[in-house]
Amino acid sequence: MSQTLARRPARESEFGYTRRLRGWFGNQWGKPRFLVLVTWGYIVWSIVPVLIAIQFSFNNSRSLSIWHGFTLKWYTSTDPNIDSVFHSAELRGALEQSMKLAGLDVLIATPIGVLLALGLARWRGRGSGASNFLMLFPLVTPEIVAGVSLLLLFSQLLTFVPFGTVAQLLGHVTFSISYVVVIVRGRLFSIGPSYEEAAADLGAAPATRLTRVLLPLLLPAIVASAAIVFAISIDDFVISQWLSNGANSTTVPMEIYDATRATPQPSTDGIATVIMVITLLSVVAGVLVYRFFTRGESGRGSAVDDVAGFGI
Amino acid sequence: MAGGEVEVVDLVKEFNEVIAVDGINLQMPGGEFFSMLGPSGCGKTTTLRMIAGFEEPTSGQILLDGHNMAFTPPHKRNVNMVFQNYALFPHLNVFDNIAFGLRRDKRPKAEIRRRVAAALELVQLTGFEKRKPGQMSGGQQQRVALARALVLQPAVLLLDEPLGALDAKLRKALQIELKELQQQVGITFIYVTHDQEEALTMSDRIAVMSAGRVEQVGPPQALYEEPATTFVADFLGVSNLMTATAQGESNGRCKVALGEFKLYASNGDVSTTGETRIVIRPERVRLEAHESTGENRIPGMVERVIYLGNGNQIIVGLAHGERIQALVQNTGDELAYRQGDPVKAYLPAEALRVLTDTGTAPLEDDPRAHAAVQPAEPVAEEASSPNVNV
Repeated sequence: MSQTLARRPARESEFGYTRRLRGWFGNQWGKPRFLVLVTWGYIVWSIVPVLIAIQFSFNNSRSLSIWHGFTLKWYTSTDPNIDSVFHSAELRGALEQSMKLAGLDVLIATPIGVLLALGLARWRGRGSGASNFLMLFPLVTPEIVAGVSLLLLFSQLLTFVPFGTVAQLLGHVTFSISYVVVIVRGRLFSIGPSYEEAAADLGAAPATRLTRVLLPLLLPAIVASAAIVFAISIDDFVISQWLSNGANSTTVPMEIYDATRATPQPSTDGIATVIMVITLLSVVAGVLVYRFFTRGESGRGSAVDDVAGFGI
Repeated sequence: MAGGEVEVVDLVKEFNEVIAVDGINLQMPGGEFFSMLGPSGCGKTTTLRMIAGFEEPTSGQILLDGHNMAFTPPHKRNVNMVFQNYALFPHLNVFDNIAFGLRRDKRPKAEIRRRVAAALELVQLTGFEKRKPGQMSGGQQQRVALARALVLQPAVLLLDEPLGALDAKLRKALQIELKELQQQVGITFIYVTHDQEEALTMSDRIAVMSAGRVEQVGPPQALYEEPATTFVADFLGVSNLMTATAQGESNGRCKVALGEFKLYASNGDVSTTGETRIVIRPERVRLEAHESTGENRIPGMVERVIYLGNGNQIIVGLAHGERIQALVQNTGDELAYRQGDPVKAYLPAEALRVLTDTGTAPLEDDPRAHAAVQPAEPVAEEASSPNVNV
C-alpha cells in the first residue's frame, strides 16, 4: 500500500508558474516573505530620502539634485561666501541653541520626572488612577495645541517669563517630563516592591533604600529616558517656534525650515545631518547603557525594553 | 543566639474591608522550626509580612522576646526574611548582596569579609563571591538569599515559600538541608508554605490556617494522626471523610451509623451525638475478602486500581454509596484485587476518628476550593479542642 502511494507521481498544477509564485509568498510553513517585503519596502521608503539629503550635504556644488563630486566645504569652509555648518553665524548659533535647550531640558526634566514616577508609583488611593492617566496627556496632546497654550500663558498670564530661551526651555521641560515618567514608572513596576522590602529587611533606612537599591536599579531607565528627552528636544520644532523671540533663539529645526523656504543650500542638509547624527548617537548610547546595566536580568522589564530600547 | 521567641496576639489585618488575618494567636518558642501551612489566601503570608514589618497590623501585638514590635519599622527589627523570589539585588554581586546588611550596620571591613565568608561556607557557596545573581541557578540564588539573611544573625528567620520556584527533586534535597541548617544555627525559623509535605518534613510544629484563622497547631504527627477539624484532616495528606450519625459513647468508643452499617470509632470526639464526620487515612483502610466478618467491616466493590509505584491506590465503592480510598503497599506480591471484585473494607476502630466540627470541607484537592470555605465556628471549636497547643 505504501509502495503504491510512493510511486504515484505528484500531481502538477496546470498553472505551475502562478502556483509557484503563490507558494513562494504564501507558504505558511516557510518564511513570511510577504511581511518581509512590506517591511523592507517601508524601510527603503523612509530612509532613502534621508540618505539622499545626507549625500547632497557633501555635494561639490550648490545643486541639491545633480551630483558634482564629494566635498566637506558645506561643513567646514571658512569662506564668507559659503554658509558652512560650523562657521556661518546663523547655522552655528542654531546648533548651539538646540544643544543648549536639549542639554538643559535633560538636566531639568529627568530628575523631576524620576521623582514624579516614584511618587505616582507609590501613591495608592483616591486620585492616583486619574493622575497616572493624566501623565500621558502631554504625550497625546497635539504639539500645536500645547505650543499655543504655552504662548498664551506666557504672553497673558505669566508675563515675567521672557520669550526666547527661558520660555522655550519651560515648554520643552513640560512635554519631556511625561516621557521620563512613563519610562521610569514602567521600570518601577517591572522591578516590583520586593527589592526595597529586602533592603528594609536588611536594615536599610528609607533614604538608603533609595540610593543603594532603587536608584541603581532605575539607572538604565533614567539613562534611557534622558537620551530620549535629548532626542525629542533637539527634534522639536513647533514649541521652539511658538516660544522663540526671533533671531537669537532660533533652533536647528527652525533654521532648516526658514532656510529651505528661502534658498535651500547643501549646508542646510549638512546641519540636518549633524542633528540627525547627534540624535541617533544619544538614542544608541541610551540603549547601550540600558543594555549594559540590565544584562543578566532574565525576562525582566520586557515592556521597558520596548519603550527604552525600541525593541532593538 | 539566645531568645527568638515570637508571640502573636489577636493579630488582625484588614485590606479595604477584606479581612486577611482574622485575630490569630500563635506562640513560637526560641529555636523552633515553625510552619504556617494553608491554601493560598489563608493569611499565612500576610502574617509573615506583619512579623517582618512590611504590613502594619490593623490590631493586635507581635512580641519578639516579650517586646511588642508590631509598629517597629522593618529596618529596626531583629528578624530577617528569605523572599519567595529571593529578591537578590541584581546590580550587586554575591559578596555585596550578603554584605549589604552588615554595611548598613556599619561593621568594620575585616569583620564584613570574615562574616560573609562564614555565611557562604554555611550555605556551601564559597568561591561564588564575584558572581551576579543573574548568573546563578535557582537553587544557588536560594542559598545566597539564605546567607544574606543569616549573616546578620537574626533572632528569627522568616521564610516565605522559599522553595516554591524550584523543581521537585531540588526541593526535596533543600528541605533536608534547611532543617539541618536550622538545627545548626539554632534560631527560630518561621516558614510559610502551602505544601503540606514540605511542612511535615521540616517543622517542629505546624499551624494549619484557613480563611485568616488558625485551624490547629501542633507537631506534624499530631496534626496528621489527630486532626481536630475537617479542614485539617482534608488539607494534610489524603483523607477519607465520611458523613455519619454518632449514636453516643460506649466503652470509650463512639458508635456511628454509616448508612445501614454500624461502626465504632475510638479516636476524636467520641462522646458526640448526631450528625458528624468521621475520617480514616487510606493507609489504615484494610481490604479483606468479601466473606470475612467482624465489626467495622463494610462490603464494597473495587472501582479502580491505580498503580503508584510504591503502592496501589484502590478506590472502593462502599455498599451505602460512599467511596473510600485504600492504600496498599507494594510488597512485591501480586495484588489480590482487580476492578470489579467484591471486597470487605475493614475500618479499624482505632484508625477511625470522629471530628469535632461538621464543616463541609470539599473533598477535592483544589486549594481554592478550601479558601472559599468559611468555617462558621472553627475558633470556638478550636478553643475547646484538646489538640490545640497554642
